[in-house]
Amino acid sequence: MGRIALNDIRKSFGKTEVIHGVDLAVEDGELVVFVGPSGCGKSTLLRLIAGLDRPTSGTIEIDGADVTRHSAANRGLAMVFQSYALYPHMTVRQNLSFGLENTKMERAEIRRRIEDSARMLEIEELLDRRPTQLSGGQRQRVAIGRAIVREPSAFLLDEPLSNLDAELRVTMRAELAQLHERLGTTMIYVTHDQIEAMTLADRIVVLRKGRIEQVDTPLNLYNRPANLFVAGFIGAPNMNFFETTASDGRAELPGGLHIDVPQDGKITAGIRPQHLRLANREEEALEGTVTLVEALGAETVVHARALDGTAMVTVLSGQPNLGIGDAIRIALDRGEVHLFDAEGQRIDPS
Amino acid sequence: MAAIPRTLGAIVTAPLTWIARAIDPPLRWWQRLTGLNGMAAVFLLPNLAIFGVFVLFPLVLNVVYSMTAGTNILLGDRSFVGLDQYQRLLTCEDYTQAITCREDMFWTAAGNTFFFVVLQVSMMILVSTITALILNRNIRGRGFFRAVFFFPVLLSPVVVGLIWRWILQRQGLLNLIMVNLGMEPEVWLNDRAYAFTATIGVSVWAHMGFYTLILLAGLQAIPKDLYEAAEMDGTPPARVFWRITLPLLGPNLAVVLVLALIRGVQIFDEVYVLTGGGPGTSTLYLTQYIYEVGFASILRNPGLAAAASILMGLVLVVLTLVQLGLSRRNEQRGSRQ
Ligand SMILES: Nc1ncnc2c1ncn2[C@@H]1O[C@H](COP(=O)(O)OP(=O)(O)OP(=O)(O)O)[C@@H](O)[C@H]1O
Ligand SMILES: [Mg+2]
Repeated sequence: MGRIALNDIRKSFGKTEVIHGVDLAVEDGELVVFVGPSGCGKSTLLRLIAGLDRPTSGTIEIDGADVTRHSAANRGLAMVFQSYALYPHMTVRQNLSFGLENTKMERAEIRRRIEDSARMLEIEELLDRRPTQLSGGQRQRVAIGRAIVREPSAFLLDEPLSNLDAELRVTMRAELAQLHERLGTTMIYVTHDQIEAMTLADRIVVLRKGRIEQVDTPLNLYNRPANLFVAGFIGAPNMNFFETTASDGRAELPGGLHIDVPQDGKITAGIRPQHLRLANREEEALEGTVTLVEALGAETVVHARALDGTAMVTVLSGQPNLGIGDAIRIALDRGEVHLFDAEGQRIDPS
Repeated sequence: MAAIPRTLGAIVTAPLTWIARAIDPPLRWWQRLTGLNGMAAVFLLPNLAIFGVFVLFPLVLNVVYSMTAGTNILLGDRSFVGLDQYQRLLTCEDYTQAITCREDMFWTAAGNTFFFVVLQVSMMILVSTITALILNRNIRGRGFFRAVFFFPVLLSPVVVGLIWRWILQRQGLLNLIMVNLGMEPEVWLNDRAYAFTATIGVSVWAHMGFYTLILLAGLQAIPKDLYEAAEMDGTPPARVFWRITLPLLGPNLAVVLVLALIRGVQIFDEVYVLTGGGPGTSTLYLTQYIYEVGFASILRNPGLAAAASILMGLVLVVLTLVQLGLSRRNEQRGSRQ
């Protein structure tokens, strides 16, 4: 079992509060990913759950029991560190068994667990090596193995793949997904990487400056971001934003393109680059000048500046014949426009 | 034409540039003649010259002196006696009894030095390890304490000796305090056991800051998340110390051990000022013996002193080789990571 609940968690370092009241419920077996910009408190939150730090206020529950005052060891969780934190002077086998030897576990049981996890992670041949004799990916596996042998009720992973090169990261990401599938254990996973978040998560927690901005499934976050921050954070390239003022249910975007809006006043319209396309001659369009063309082969990322100076990015399929300085007319699917009010909160079309 | 120097930096570096330009052609010529290895020799030469004059030459001279006899200082006035001086030093009827040796003082000093080194180095490692462990915690005023423990290292050994003599002598600070507390004063430096203990305590006090610093650096190089990983596993503090801290501090401890051994064998200045080797011969260590035989006694014997210093030097060479071996092993371990 691994239900984890955070109730109004706050954390201060000295006088500065870095976590400002976080509520979150993680279901048993769920894989929850924390994302957010650097310094938003992802690691801090994870360490609070782990018991490596104590919250200033609020409570943490695991399977319904209040563990706020429990030591890290008594929470039944296992952590995988970004740096792997393998003991450099011990062999892989000793690294795996070290934590188990603290409990009164029988030798045979320790052996069994090490062999099982080594088989699962395909590190059987490495058991007698030291961490310095392993590649980055192998160390990563050992670090995960050290967590697995403890058979925790939940895994906590702080940017576990960030020290690997791009290719290995993709492989390990897939393996982690399989591992989660297989073990069915709750995982809380911290990452910078949107793709990791989108592909691994059952639910994503978007954090910003010590607050939760939105918690939802990856596709819901993408399709219905709750506010400007989430809209801008999820999806690459970043969403285009156009600030405008609406009256009589209509708002004008740069270049004279009009959209219908459910409320008047200051409004921000957000459109993903993938939902912009080149306009037909007769269509209403955003007009601008091309400032940069990034040809990726299958698609082309075109940066442009609208007539009023607003920067916009569009992703066009194929290899359109565009160069810097060209005039460009961009059309949009009105159904794909996200609207946000003056406070940056989502407005649902009525 | 040289450009007109415009900034202060240019003015300062200009002469250096001129020198560099002046020596450039001959250096090029030399490199063409001898290749890269010849160039290395050129750059090593100044240092080697200093080493030769102040280390190598005296060393050779010392070996020569150790094979001569007489009280004369000038080599020309001395007679060659081969290994007689060594024989004299090493002749004993019963090697467990210093008194039966021909040079009983040499053996007394060697024995004293042995016990001193064993006890002092053990104390040194224990005290500096504990101090480093404490300073490595997040205690208040850590910087202040670090400075306090390092301060004695900056004192000259003579000052160290004087300070402690002033504290420990018959009418010293310690006795003053004890009398004021209603206790009987002790003759600290005139008691064999107390004096011997004092030389150990004082030299530990004077040098521990240095070793503490080495160990502290070692402790701080241990990644914090190893401790957090251990904490997640509920590892008891004692097990963390024995299984994580100590093994990872091992290389630093080895360096400290060998350095402390080498310096322990060489002990002289602070002890000479503090006890003068007394009472009797209870704190007479090898270096002082060599000094007295060679320079201070009325019937000075430079040859014997030279021979004794060569024997002591052999011990130091062995220790130094161990130290070099250890640091090389550490380097290799470091580069493998
Ligand atoms: N021990 C500490 N003492 C003081 N401030 C801290 C401490 N640990 C973290 N902080 C502060 O708390 C905030 C959140 O830090 P945290 O490490 O949780 O960020 P993060 O989201 O994990 O960032 P990153 O993505 O860069 O790892 C930061 O502003 C950081 O400066
Ligand atoms: Mg972090």
